[in-house]
Amino acid sequence: MPVFELLIAGILLGGLYALMACGLNLVFGVMRIINFAHGDLLAVGALTTVSIVTGLHLPFYVAIVVVPLLTAALGLAMQVLVLRRLADGPMIMSLLATFALSTILVNLSILIWGGGYRGLPGVLGGSVHLLGLDVALSRLVSFLVAMAVTLLVWWFLQSTRFGRAIRSVSQAPELAVINGISIDAVRNVTFALGAAMAGLAGVLLAPTFASDPQLGARFGIKAFAVIIVGGMGSYPGAMAAALLLGVLEVFGGYWFGQVIGSAMLFLVMLVVLLVRPRGLLGMGVRA
Amino acid sequence: MKSLVIIVVSAALAAVIPFVGSEYALSFTVQLFVFVALAYSWNLIGGYAGYTHFGQVAFFGVGAYTGALMMDAGFHWLLAAGAAGLSGALLALPLGGAMLRVKGPFFAIGMFGMARVCESFALGFDGITQGGTGLYLTPVTDLKPLYFVLWAIAFGMVVLTWKLDNSRLGIQLLAIREDETAADALGIRTTRLKIGTFVASAIAPAAVGSLYATYLSFIDPATAFAPMTELTTIAMVLLGGMGTTFGPLVGAVVMSVVNELLWSRFPEIYLALVGAVILAVVLFMPRGIVSFAMRRAWWWVPAARSSLRRLASRPAPSRSPKEAH
Repeated sequence: MPVFELLIAGILLGGLYALMACGLNLVFGVMRIINFAHGDLLAVGALTTVSIVTGLHLPFYVAIVVVPLLTAALGLAMQVLVLRRLADGPMIMSLLATFALSTILVNLSILIWGGGYRGLPGVLGGSVHLLGLDVALSRLVSFLVAMAVTLLVWWFLQSTRFGRAIRSVSQAPELAVINGISIDAVRNVTFALGAAMAGLAGVLLAPTFASDPQLGARFGIKAFAVIIVGGMGSYPGAMAAALLLGVLEVFGGYWFGQVIGSAMLFLVMLVVLLVRPRGLLGMGVRA
Repeated sequence: MKSLVIIVVSAALAAVIPFVGSEYALSFTVQLFVFVALAYSWNLIGGYAGYTHFGQVAFFGVGAYTGALMMDAGFHWLLAAGAAGLSGALLALPLGGAMLRVKGPFFAIGMFGMARVCESFALGFDGITQGGTGLYLTPVTDLKPLYFVLWAIAFGMVVLTWKLDNSRLGIQLLAIREDETAADALGIRTTRLKIGTFVASAIAPAAVGSLYATYLSFIDPATAFAPMTELTTIAMVLLGGMGTTFGPLVGAVVMSVVNELLWSRFPEIYLALVGAVILAVVLFMPRGIVSFAMRRAWWWVPAARSSLRRLASRPAPSRSPKEAH
């Protein structure tokens, strides 16, 4: 069994999960809802990347810059037009609204891009020799960019004034208000940031995986499993769990086939819920 | 009393459709019954117990596959539906034990994930389920028996909910919904009740899933586990009124008609439009039609928990002097 190769493949996959899951977790922290449309923002990001590279014949790095801005705008629109109005109501309403938004996004994507799979042949092709292994360049670049951005956002949360405001809103909203933090502004910025992270994850997975409008359901749900395992609201927890689950998925896929490999994330999630409901590093899930 | 009249009249109306209606009316009503059964089941766990979730379609799909595989093996469709209902309960029991430990968004989306896992199993074990190709079944020649079984399940769920609404059990579930810790402190066995309700809410969807597979004489993972089924069901409950006796019925009828109109006018963007309709319901009518009508006390709307209200308004029995001290 090529343990080392599988391990590397798992970690490279986990990097993408980390970017995706941290965005979702960030939004959960300040809004107390899971954004169902997170995965669909990712799908829109991936499909737009395909259009930019194969349709407009622009280089890939243009997509890395433009697409996150686009999905951030989309996310901000969702927040301002819909979710902000529901923020103080029951949780189910916001959740259902994001579910409906997800359906709208998927079906509009099918109208725009069609239902089929689209790849990005030739972008970041080839492989590099690393630690005695041949690693696909596209996977390596995805991993490095994803981890760099995930860590950058973490630094932003830990060390900047606005980052502290975001953390204070997610930990104690009432106290944040007393200290003069505008919850609305924090929520808007966080939602846009989370959406941008989803879009960037979409850009990064476009060269490796075939993209289609249903991509969101497949990937977005994994991000959810990651944050349950890592612990809701815990940024380092989500990063660690993303790498762990990436490795588990690759090993599971090797042993039991692709389908069971993906399902394994959820079996792990169930076990975590049974044994340690607040996750590896979580602040508690009985929100 | 009003409740009984509404149930009897609507059940009688639905019962004459196969004799007077067209083929189209029949197929529309079959779909409506499926959604009524789904909506009432979801209303039990989501509306009454307050554990809203997005994974009911898992039971629908598992039931559809259980039933389809049994019919494939030569069993009668009615027996297959019974076995499917049982399979739903058997799946819900361990799943409820694990998932009901979490509340709110985690339970809601965790269940959605479970539905996706079931779907990927249906795709992955293609030796049994034929994977994405789907299972083709021998079509039933006479739809009437199927129609009346669905009719019985749909109105059975209505009657069950009506009974629940007027029972101690229903109030205990509402207590869990409003404040689980307080309910626990009052001596309500919350865990047992929650899991019981969850299992009860899984049986009808699984049975109906099997009957729907019989009706289509075909099942594939995309049909069995469609997220749209889930979204439509929840939207129906929401539009009608969560945790009310007649909300799911009203919601299912209104939503089915709206969907049918959208489907015939705008087939390309139909699903996106349904999403927009649901968004509109969430934004502008979150309490639902029946709750709205109840608060306005419209004459045709029965009050919630009417028999318990009557019980409560009776004068207290006079106490003996001994008890007064």
